[in-house]
Amino acid sequence: MPDPAIQLFSVTAGSTEPIYRQLVEQVTRLVASGTLQPGQSMPSVRELAGALAVNPMTISKAYSLLETSGVLERQRGIGMLIAQHSNNTRKIDRRIELLTPTLNKLIFEANQLELDADTVIAQLTSMLKGPAQ
Amino acid sequence: MKPPIVELNSVFKSFDQHSVLRDLNWRIEPGSVIGLLGRNGAGKSTLLECLLGLRGIDRGSNLLFGESAQHLSSATQENIGYVPQQSDLFEWFTTQQMLSYFQSFYPRWNQAKVEQLISRWDIPTNRLISKLSVGQKQRLSIIRALAHQPALLVLDEPVASLDPSGRRDFLRELITDVIERETTVIFSTHILSDLERIAMEVAFLNDGRIKLQEPLDNLLENTVRIIGDTASLPTFAKELSRKQISAQQSSLLVQLTASELAQAQHNALNIDAIGLEDLFIELTA
Repeated sequence: MPDPAIQLFSVTAGSTEPIYRQLVEQVTRLVASGTLQPGQSMPSVRELAGALAVNPMTISKAYSLLETSGVLERQRGIGMLIAQHSNNTRKIDRRIELLTPTLNKLIFEANQLELDADTVIAQLTSMLKGPAQ
Repeated sequence: MKPPIVELNSVFKSFDQHSVLRDLNWRIEPGSVIGLLGRNGAGKSTLLECLLGLRGIDRGSNLLFGESAQHLSSATQENIGYVPQQSDLFEWFTTQQMLSYFQSFYPRWNQAKVEQLISRWDIPTNRLISKLSVGQKQRLSIIRALAHQPALLVLDEPVASLDPSGRRDFLRELITDVIERETTVIFSTHILSDLERIAMEVAFLNDGRIKLQEPLDNLLENTVRIIGDTASLPTFAKELSRKQISAQQSSLLVQLTASELAQAQHNALNIDAIGLEDLFIELTA
């Protein structure tokens, strides 16, 4: 029976980001948002490779990295599950960590545009708060 | 360590006065899934034919499974599957006749797999091959190459005449059957999105040589384009190309280590990640 969770994943060819990395980030985000719950099983490598038409070695690579970072857990005879302790990803510092690459890019571009920290922070604050009432 | 499946050493090949391969070296390890990229006319088909021993070489050596490619033992020949760019099926046979003919040569012929693919890919069995569509011929050529479960599969533009759903189905077959058996796969294609899904490594053929061969993930992660003032741009250890794009500015294609990247970012150089399509254009120019 196909795993219903399989619908949650997708990859884009032609991106500057390798496919295994797209998957790692996708799973991490889905766990952080609670869409994938601790104890829930992941599709098998073979199943996901077939569904996404991606080399199984690429899926294995993504799963191994997710296991190393504690998002997934290997259960003998069952396969990969969302780790019980993956709740950690719900903690604020874990979620901040996910945002760090994007923030680094922001800093880099702000430097290139020669914008000082106060200006960038003010703009960011106003954008985060949304349009004024 | 297992010997390489393919070992080309200093191979030269020319047609009349036109030199195609020049001092080309290429090693392919067992279990590799490698995409061969190059512009039209770069010599990809010639390279694959020389590699398989279907074409003689002028100089150098071409080993396949450790044997001279021109004098392969029959055991080694049975371990090779090849889908040429131009369908070379026997046009005067029907599908059924052609497959029975090839079946007689191969002890490991998987008839169940053949029947499954024939029906899944909608190929009429009692029609003359000359009456099949281009897409049907290409699918049939793929079935013939997969049927004896070769240890090495060489595909020259295997999906050029298939529509997107036909291509996707072919990729699934490669993934669920061929790659899982740890078959070594070498394929040339211009359809980069397919290549990205399947290839673990890419090799770029340019100027008669393999200009670069690297795991695809590394290539996408380490290679960036840097644009800046020609006078002040630093030099890097692994520069793939450097060209002047205006009076003052140059564009560099470089492979950076993590620390080189951090340093370059610190120096506020203009750095862009680069996708496979741009890489193709830069590396095969």
